[in-house]
Amino acid sequence: MSMSAAPQTSSTTTLQAHGVRKSFVSGRVQSTVLHDLTLDVHASELTLISGPSGCGKSTLLAILSGLQPADAGGVRALGHELSGLGMRELEHFRLQHTGFVFQGFNLFPALTALEQVELPLSYMGLAKGLARKRAIESLEEVGLGPRMRLRPAELSGGEKQRVAIARALAKQPELLFADEPTSALDSANGQIVIDILHRIARTHGTTVLCVSHDPRLVGHADRMLTMEDGRILSDHAPPASLSTAYGAKEPSA
Amino acid sequence: MVALARKTLIQEWRRFLPAILAVGFAGLLQLLQAALVLGIFGSASVYITGSAADLWAGYPGTQSVNLGRPIGEDVAMRLRMDPDVTKVEPFRWVDADWRGPRDTGGVSVFVSGIDPRPDGMMFSRALPPALRAKLNEPGAVIVDKADLDSLGVSIGDTAAINGQRVRVVGVSSGLRALGGVNIVSSLDTARVLDIDPEDAGMMTYFVAKLRDPSKAKAIAKRLSGSDAFGPYTVWTAKEFARQSQLYWMLDTGAGAGVLFLAGIVFLVGAVITSQTLIAAVIGSIREYATLNALGVGRGALRKVIMEQAFWVGALGLICSIVIGIVMLIIARSRSVPMELHPLTAGVCLALSMALAIVSGLAAMRSLRRADPASLLR
Repeated sequence: MSMSAAPQTSSTTTLQAHGVRKSFVSGRVQSTVLHDLTLDVHASELTLISGPSGCGKSTLLAILSGLQPADAGGVRALGHELSGLGMRELEHFRLQHTGFVFQGFNLFPALTALEQVELPLSYMGLAKGLARKRAIESLEEVGLGPRMRLRPAELSGGEKQRVAIARALAKQPELLFADEPTSALDSANGQIVIDILHRIARTHGTTVLCVSHDPRLVGHADRMLTMEDGRILSDHAPPASLSTAYGAKEPSA
Repeated sequence: MVALARKTLIQEWRRFLPAILAVGFAGLLQLLQAALVLGIFGSASVYITGSAADLWAGYPGTQSVNLGRPIGEDVAMRLRMDPDVTKVEPFRWVDADWRGPRDTGGVSVFVSGIDPRPDGMMFSRALPPALRAKLNEPGAVIVDKADLDSLGVSIGDTAAINGQRVRVVGVSSGLRALGGVNIVSSLDTARVLDIDPEDAGMMTYFVAKLRDPSKAKAIAKRLSGSDAFGPYTVWTAKEFARQSQLYWMLDTGAGAGVLFLAGIVFLVGAVITSQTLIAAVIGSIREYATLNALGVGRGALRKVIMEQAFWVGALGLICSIVIGIVMLIIARSRSVPMELHPLTAGVCLALSMALAIVSGLAAMRSLRRADPASLLR
């Protein structure tokens, strides 16, 4: 059941984990969170990792995105070997290639939606005009064009998460990581957010890796990985019936 | 570039207010303390700074202008012989006892006997010519208007100094003394008031004017060379004023007290400011961690914190400057001796800015908690 073939063999592999192991020490007890895990993730797909809490899915996301080093094994992202990189090089890699969406929206209270999105762009070295143009485009893409002058306090939870997505999207990343992006949202807003993530994978060719235990997401994923105790239990395309039932725009594969 | 530091400061001003106030009050305290110390101890040398003389000749080893001992008239001859000296004038200092018409008891006073001519050097900056001329009347004295109450007189009243009758013919300002009350009289009046037989025919200082004041240092050194005209030393006015002020500052222990207080103010200010800045960083730690996840480097985040610290410092300084100016104006109008030179003010303000920067460095350390992996749950 372990490493079955990915559902879409045609698409390019952008993210590879090979024999990744990670353990944590608490007191005298050493607990292994990831057991020699091997995985390929593809571009233009929304890949969903689900599993009970504590199964190691967030740790896997942290390692695949270059936020945390693995104890053993290697991670290859967009042709770069991440395992050997130092803190600065990892920061540079993340700045150029990755976007993040977290469960908490983590927006600066003092900045308007537009400024939140512009902020990382200015650190990428983009000219002011270009940064502004990209930020506006991203906010329009997530449907917040009319509300981009508002601060977080004036936005709803769903809108805040869409600002966070626009912030990640405006960087035009090849890799987009999302950690429980819908669990703080009601069903309607959760639906909007997952639709946006799916659309990003399709229209921008982005590799979207999403970690969640939210069952509402299952129907929208192109590929679904189930984890338990630091291992991948299953890897398959979700049933098409579910996809249509949740109103996905096009059936995968 | 999005001005994250400034926008956060404006949006969350309540959070930063304690830090701004801490910097502001630290700066204000340093400024006022420096102004008071300089003002109070500056009055120890008012005889020198209020006069136009370039050189002072007095008893060797005199530590402060109020501690002068009698020197012979020959010293004046020696000064006049120097080709660079254009004018020499005696100055007689008399420690005396004042009895006013009102019930004030004895007041310890310092009588300054000066040449009352309009072009006299002594107190040329404190006494306008018309007022000086009034000193020609025998027994005439001038006091600072802030001292009228403690002397128990008004203008025109008579009183007794060392048992001799004197009359207050006018008041001036900027004549206040340390440890007593300054009385200005003519040389003749002062001679009458000086009852110490040792002082007969002697003066306390001779002051001199130079053709080229910029050469004062070299000339003072040259004149101090010999003892042929009796014991004396020549100082430049600047040097002697500084020496007198330092004597008072160190002799009274006030200097150490001021430094100690400045240290405490700095410490308390830094604790409040750094704690406030740290709280602000911690309050936004998840947002900083998110930026770091998106690839914004630690160095760039540290810069945001330092920029915040700088603005906190700048706003604090504006507070201290505005309040400081108001306080100085009030003090001036009430004859409180306060004096502030641009350099001293600059040092005080630089100290306050340093306080803000040090606090920013302390707050920067708490950025370590901005670990993007901790955002994943």
